[in-house]
Amino acid sequence: MSGKEIHKTAAGDRISKGQKFAYGLGSIVNNLLGGAIGYMSIVLNVGLGMNPALVGTLQAIPRFTDALTDPVMGYISDNTRSKFGRRKPFIFVGAIFVGLVFALMWQLPDGYSEMFYFWFFLLGSIIFYLFYTMFATPWVALGYELTSDYHERTRLMGVMNFMGQFAWISLPWFYSIMENDALFSDSVEGARTLAIVIGVFVAVVGVMPAIFCKERFVAQDKKEKVKSKLLEGIKRNVVAFLKGLVITIKRVEFLKLCAGTFFLFNGIMLVGAFSSYITIFYVSGGDTDLGAKYMGLFGTITTISTLAAITVVTWISSKIGKRKTFIIATSITLVGSLLKWFCYDPMAPWKVLIPAPFIAVGMGALFTLMGSMIADVCDLDELETGERREGMFGSIYWWMVKLGMALAFGLSGFLLEGTGYAVELGGAQSSSTFFWMRFLDVSIPAAASLIAIFSVASFKITEEKAYEIRSELEKRRGVKITPETEAQS
Amino acid sequence: MKTIYAEMKITKTFIYALFIGLVAFSIGCRDVTDKLGGVEPENVDTLVITMIAKSSANPVFMSAKIGAMRKAEDISEKYSLLDVLINWKTPEYENASEQAEIIRNAVKEGTDAIIVSCSDKDSLTKAINYAVDNGVPVMTFDSDAPDSKRFAFYGPDDKEMGKKVLNELAGLIGDKGKIAILGGNQTANNLQERVEGVRIAVADYPNIEIVGTYYHPETESDAIDVMKKVQETYPDLKGWAMVGGWPMFGEKLKDIIEPGKIKIVGVDALPVQLKYIEKNYVQVLLGQPTFRWGEISVEKVIDKLYLKKKVDEIIRLNTIPVSIENLGGWSRQLRAWGYQDIPEKYLVL
Repeated sequence: MSGKEIHKTAAGDRISKGQKFAYGLGSIVNNLLGGAIGYMSIVLNVGLGMNPALVGTLQAIPRFTDALTDPVMGYISDNTRSKFGRRKPFIFVGAIFVGLVFALMWQLPDGYSEMFYFWFFLLGSIIFYLFYTMFATPWVALGYELTSDYHERTRLMGVMNFMGQFAWISLPWFYSIMENDALFSDSVEGARTLAIVIGVFVAVVGVMPAIFCKERFVAQDKKEKVKSKLLEGIKRNVVAFLKGLVITIKRVEFLKLCAGTFFLFNGIMLVGAFSSYITIFYVSGGDTDLGAKYMGLFGTITTISTLAAITVVTWISSKIGKRKTFIIATSITLVGSLLKWFCYDPMAPWKVLIPAPFIAVGMGALFTLMGSMIADVCDLDELETGERREGMFGSIYWWMVKLGMALAFGLSGFLLEGTGYAVELGGAQSSSTFFWMRFLDVSIPAAASLIAIFSVASFKITEEKAYEIRSELEKRRGVKITPETEAQS
Repeated sequence: MKTIYAEMKITKTFIYALFIGLVAFSIGCRDVTDKLGGVEPENVDTLVITMIAKSSANPVFMSAKIGAMRKAEDISEKYSLLDVLINWKTPEYENASEQAEIIRNAVKEGTDAIIVSCSDKDSLTKAINYAVDNGVPVMTFDSDAPDSKRFAFYGPDDKEMGKKVLNELAGLIGDKGKIAILGGNQTANNLQERVEGVRIAVADYPNIEIVGTYYHPETESDAIDVMKKVQETYPDLKGWAMVGGWPMFGEKLKDIIEPGKIKIVGVDALPVQLKYIEKNYVQVLLGQPTFRWGEISVEKVIDKLYLKKKVDEIIRLNTIPVSIENLGGWSRQLRAWGYQDIPEKYLVL
C-alpha cells in the first residue's frame, strides 16, 4: 500500500444515514444541556436578585465534580455488560432523567431567601450534572465506535458537529423568551416554563441514539468470573479504574489531541469577552445598541461559516487526511485572529465582521476532526492494551474541554482587569487599556492556534497507519466488525 | 428489511420530534414571529413621556434627547405590551417660564410623565407641583427643583464634583503650590456647591494654598479676563480649579496660557473643549455623560409607572475624568451619544 493512497470506505463500513442522524440528535441534546444552564442562569441574578458571585460559584462547582464523575462514568460504561450493550442503557436512562431533573431544578418557588435559592439550585445542579454525565459520556464513546473506518468516522463527527450547531443557534434566544412579557409575568416564570419545554425535548430526542444506533463492541471478560465480596469488588474496580486512567493520560497521541483542543478552543474562549468589550467600547464608542448589532451579526456569520466549514472540512479530510486538514483549518483561524488587529476600526465598525468566517473554520474543524482522531487513538490503545476504552478517552477529553472553558472564563476577568479596564468609564477607557485589550484579543488566540498546530503536527496515526492498526485488530479478533454486524465480543 | 424498517421508524420519530420542537419554538417565540409577520399584539399600552430640556440649541441636551429616544426604543422592544414615546418639548433657548407653560400644556394634553431640566427652580416648582397634583409624575435631570413634588432627580453631586476637581489638580501640581478657583456665576447654586467642594477637599492638602475664588459672567471673554488678571497678580500660580468650562468655549485661552505651565482642571468635556486637552493647555476635564440624562430618566419613569419599582429620590451621575490618555475613548463615546462635531483625529486615537 502506498503512503499516499486514499482508502475508499467499504460499503460495510458505512454508517447508515438514519444512524448518523440519530447520533447527531444526541449532539443537539448534549450541546443544549451544556449551554442551557449558562444562558438561563442570568435569571438567578436578574429575576431572583442572587449575587453574581454566587451565580458564578454555582457554575464553577460542577466542573470539580465532573473531574470525578466523568472518568468514573467512562470506566463504568466501558466495563458494562448487558444485553442492551454498554452505552445505550445509560444514554436512554440518562436522557430521560437529565430532562426530568432539568425541568425540576428551574421550578424555583417565590419568596425565599438568596441562600435558599443558592442551595436549592446547587443541589439541583449536582443531580443534573450526574445524569448529564450518565447521558453524555456513553454517547460520546458510542460515536468513537460506530465504525472502524478512518474516513467514515470523520463523516459521522461532521454530521454530529453540524447538527450540534443548531443547539448553539437556539441558546442565545433563551433570555428573550424568558423575558417575553406577552407570555410570562416575569423571567422566573419564563425560566420555569422554558425548562419544562427543554426537559421534554431532551427526554424525547435524547433517547434516539440509544434506540437507533448500533453498538459494535461489548465489554470483554478479562478473567473468569470470580464471586467476591462487595468490598473486594469495589477495591478491584478502583484499582482497574486508576490503572486505566493512568494509561489513558499517558497515551501520547491522545495528549497531542488534548493539547491541540485545549489551546485552540480555550484560546478563543479566553478572549471571547474581550471581543465583546472591544466591539462595544472601542469600535462602537460605548454605543451598546450598535455594538450589540455587530456582535449579533458576528455571531450569525460565525454560525453560517461554521456550518459551511464542517461540511468542507469533512470532505477535504477524506482527500488529504485529518492531521493536514486540522493544520490548514487552524492556520486559517490563526490568520483570522491576526486580521482582527486591522479590523477593529472605529471609523468603519463593519470591519469587525471580516475575521468571523476565518475564525469559524478552525472551530468547525476542531470538534469534527478531534472526535474522529480520538476514535483512531482508541484503536491504537486496543492494539497495545487489548481493551476498548472509548468511555475513558471521551470522558477525559471532554472534561479537559469543560475545565478549560471554566478556567478561560475565570481568567478572562483577571486579564480584563490587567488591561486597566474600569467599568465606570464606559467607552472612555484610556488608549493604553484599549491597546492591551486589542493586543490580548489578537495575540492569545493566534499563539494558541500556533501551539495547537504544533501539538497536532506530530500526531502519528496517519490514514495508512490507521488501516494497518485496523487490520491487526481484525486479525486478532478473528472477525471483521462493521456497522452491519451485530454486537459481538 | 430490518434496516428499512428502522429507517422508517427514525423518520417517523424525527417528524414527531420536529413537531414538538416547532410547537415549543412557536410558543417561545410567538412574540418574535408576530413581529416578523407584522402582527402587533393586542392591548399594547402607549406611554408618552414629555421631555423638557433647557435649550434645544445646546448639543448637551440633544445628546440627552438621543439617550431618551434610544431607551424608549429599547423598552418598547423588550416589553411587547408597552410602547414608549418621547414627546420632545424643549424651548430653543433657555426660558424658565416657557418651560413652565410647556409642563401645564403637556398635562392638559394627557401626557403620562414628564422629565425636565429646570432652567430656574423657583419658576418651575409651581408647574411641577401642578403636574403632580393632576396625576402626572415628574422627574428632574441635570438641574433640580428640590422643593417641588418631583419623584426623583438624576444629576451630579456638585460638592463631590468640586472635591474631584481639587483632587485631580492636587495630583498634577504635586500636592503643593498656589491655586485659584474659577467660579462662574456667584448666584448659581450648583456652582456654589462645587466651589464649596473644592474648599473642603483642600483641607487634605496642607501645602496647597487657594489664593481666591473668582466669579464672572458665564462667557468665554469674561472668564479669560478674570484669569489674566489673577495670573498677573500671582505669577507663581500653579493651577486653576475651574468649576465650569467657560474659558474653553473659544480660542482665547491659548493667548494667556503656556501649555503645561499652569495646570488646569475643569468641568464638562464637550467637543469644543477637547482641543485644549490635546494641546496640553488643560490636563483634566470632568465630563458628564449627558446621554444618560435622557437614558436614566426614561428608565426610572418606566420603573415607577410600568414596573411599579421603588425609585430612589436622588440618583447620582458620575463624572468621567478626561485627559490625553483617554481622549480617543471619550471622543468616540461622545460620537456614540450623538455629538457630531468631533475631529476624526481624536476618534482614531
